[in-house]
Amino acid sequence: MSPRHRFEGAAVRLAAAAIGLTAIVAMGAPAPPVTESYVHVPMPPHFRVEATELDGAVFADARGHTLYTWPFRVMRVGNTGDPKGQSHCTATKTTQSAGYMSPYPGGLELPELETRPSCVQKWPPVLAAAAAKPVGKWTVITREDRSRQWAYDGLPVYTSALDRQPGDVLGGENYENEGDMPAVRHPIGPRPDVPPGFLVSNTVVGRLLQTERGFSVYASDADPPGQSKCDAACANIWVPMVAPQSVRPHGDWTIIERAPGVRQWVFRGKALYRYALDSGARSLEGSDVPGWHNVYTQLAPAPPPEFTVQETSAGQVLADSHGMTIYAYDCGDDALDQLACDHPSDTQVYRLAMCGGGDWARCLRTFPYVMAPGGAKSHSRSWSVMDIDPKTGRTAAAAQPGTLHVWAFRDRPVYIYAGDQQPGDVNADGHGEFRGEREGYNAFWLRDDFFGRGG
Amino acid sequence: MWAVLLGSCGAAAAADPTVPAGGTIAYALTNLHWAIYQTENGKVECPEGFNEGNREQFKKLYPESGPKRTVLRTQLQWEIESWYPTLTDDGFKFQEARGPTALGLNLDGKVGPNDFTSPSGEPGVDNQLYRALGCIKNYRGPDGAIQFFDDEMVGKDQYNRILIELTGVESLVNSPKVQVTMYRGRDRLLFDATGKKVVPGGSQRIDSRWGARYIQHFRGSIVDGVLTSEPVDIVYPWAPFYLATDEYMRAARLRLKLTPTTAEGLIAGYTDVETWYLQMMKSWSTHHQNYGQTSAPSLYRAMRRLADAYPDPKTGANTGISSALRAEFTQVLIVPSSRPANSVLASRRTSAPYRGPPDPRPPQQPTAALPERGPAAAGSN
Repeated sequence: MSPRHRFEGAAVRLAAAAIGLTAIVAMGAPAPPVTESYVHVPMPPHFRVEATELDGAVFADARGHTLYTWPFRVMRVGNTGDPKGQSHCTATKTTQSAGYMSPYPGGLELPELETRPSCVQKWPPVLAAAAAKPVGKWTVITREDRSRQWAYDGLPVYTSALDRQPGDVLGGENYENEGDMPAVRHPIGPRPDVPPGFLVSNTVVGRLLQTERGFSVYASDADPPGQSKCDAACANIWVPMVAPQSVRPHGDWTIIERAPGVRQWVFRGKALYRYALDSGARSLEGSDVPGWHNVYTQLAPAPPPEFTVQETSAGQVLADSHGMTIYAYDCGDDALDQLACDHPSDTQVYRLAMCGGGDWARCLRTFPYVMAPGGAKSHSRSWSVMDIDPKTGRTAAAAQPGTLHVWAFRDRPVYIYAGDQQPGDVNADGHGEFRGEREGYNAFWLRDDFFGRGG
Repeated sequence: MWAVLLGSCGAAAAADPTVPAGGTIAYALTNLHWAIYQTENGKVECPEGFNEGNREQFKKLYPESGPKRTVLRTQLQWEIESWYPTLTDDGFKFQEARGPTALGLNLDGKVGPNDFTSPSGEPGVDNQLYRALGCIKNYRGPDGAIQFFDDEMVGKDQYNRILIELTGVESLVNSPKVQVTMYRGRDRLLFDATGKKVVPGGSQRIDSRWGARYIQHFRGSIVDGVLTSEPVDIVYPWAPFYLATDEYMRAARLRLKLTPTTAEGLIAGYTDVETWYLQMMKSWSTHHQNYGQTSAPSLYRAMRRLADAYPDPKTGANTGISSALRAEFTQVLIVPSSRPANSVLASRRTSAPYRGPPDPRPPQQPTAALPERGPAAAGSN
């Protein structure tokens, strides 16, 4: 789960319908428990919708545990994931690599087989009762062992063994698979309640409101609530988001009439625009213009208060108190079941190889954990203080001698890289297999003006 | 807005095209790759053939018929050796480019035993990087994947939008003193209808925020239509595959043939080895290296062995390797309002060469070439 893709919004905070990155890091306060509005859809009995800090609204089972799917995906060599109507996640433990990622062959013995879980141990299927009936997009499929499993939009549904309480989304991410990332599991949820012509996209800062083509939407400090002060000249650069005649106000969405017959969308009191000079989809360049801001339906929880934002040659990264870039470790193994290997409860063989050639002590020198100050507490569930055994990389008891108290994001520790020499260096961004996409360290991008990460 | 600007500046250029308006002309980099002198099938420079890549070496190191293959002992071991390379002999013969000829410049003003002669007969060409890369298919044209994508992404990706601006130009034929300023641009290049060829006259805004670190000034002169700049250490953005990476070249100099619409030739100097290797590793995964038979650990050893300048004061190991880039530029117009304020220039962060992973690097490169080792010693294919 790459932070370049991950770290989505929490806490609807729309007095600040728009806000700059620096302000976010400076906030430090707990986010108000307000959530993104969503479109209600029919669900099986006992299923529900949970608000999450990072992924908007998600579907959950009766316990409140987030539901995921594992979409079919074409890899470098072959394919994996679930096709519609079938589950490829079984109770059989995978023992060999699949060879999906050239140039390495398949058939290599996977690490730590004695403790390796099966797919269903990590991803328990959400089983359907004998009398379960399809409803809406929800259907029931039959697994190989003849048990019945719920499916959403044709894809079998699972929970994650990592999720502990309602609202946790620790097992997967809500980001489109790209490049050479593993075939990951996605949380599923209802559609955000935005009018036609808009979409909401996960970014590291929050749930970013965009046009249907992926361009950022902006709001202006100069606009009083429910009004636009952007005149004709202004509108050449700041193009109003026009509301068709056929649509009606609802929920957080209202409409103002700029001129006779010309209607403009307003979100939580702020008139909406796009920026004509944005260089492409996901660009945030309009927010560099004083008084103009991106619009988020939810903001991500604030990082630890001592963290900073640093400028690099491509954008902004999250950094520690000394300004050194924060990295997360992402990992999915090259096996049929594509199990993740980036959580402290997973095998640490991959990470130890990449951070120190298999030597834990070298790892601590090369990719030190970001230590949490004594007594540090997070105001969110996305950021936490984790107790880690430095020799194994696994969680430890707080009182255990030598335990490190480290900052973690989404239940995974974060790191700095000793090869970075000054603030703004991102030398370890992509340090790993397939440029860090398959397995390796990735910088915590808040904004990337060139490669579409973060932001 | 840019079209209006473009039109007005174009009109001002006027009669003698070798005299740029206001004594100023700017170009954007459109193509860039390591300069490789090639003969057909490498028969002169690679008489023993081309280097093996990671796939070939992997098969020899970890044969299917050998001991049980595990992810840890094969795949991850290869990745470890790629990300944390050492100078330990791997037993694989590395094919260095040979022969009397190479592209490049005489960087040290001397003619030494390891120097080449340029195709035009200039002696004393320093280009040890060519020895390292010349027999790796990835870096050879026209089909080498890395050469192709290096070129392609310079034009496509704005991160790599290097601009040079010449001021004080009396004419593009002869001008004894010109100032050269390097910037990064913020805009796409202007391509013709084929989408392949960059046409002159496009506008470029200067990136004085993320690109402030790349703003560098140096001096040069134009003689018989060729710009030659004085040696200066430069850092330049070069991200061939979507990760922010730079290159660092010491005593770098330009030698570019100028026209009113183009500038092309060489950028030569001593490339920092660790920065180069980091850029390669971040840009080209083991899979991508395999496209044209690169073995990262072998290449690292070769570069350290061939590095010929800038010894580390503590270890004595050379940190720089003589090198040359083939560069092509097309004329552009810099948007005046995008020029950086003095405060930006004063406060900009400068870049330093990458030092490598924190654990001590091997202190001294071997002075002799690695011994040959045949397939039998490394396992069978």
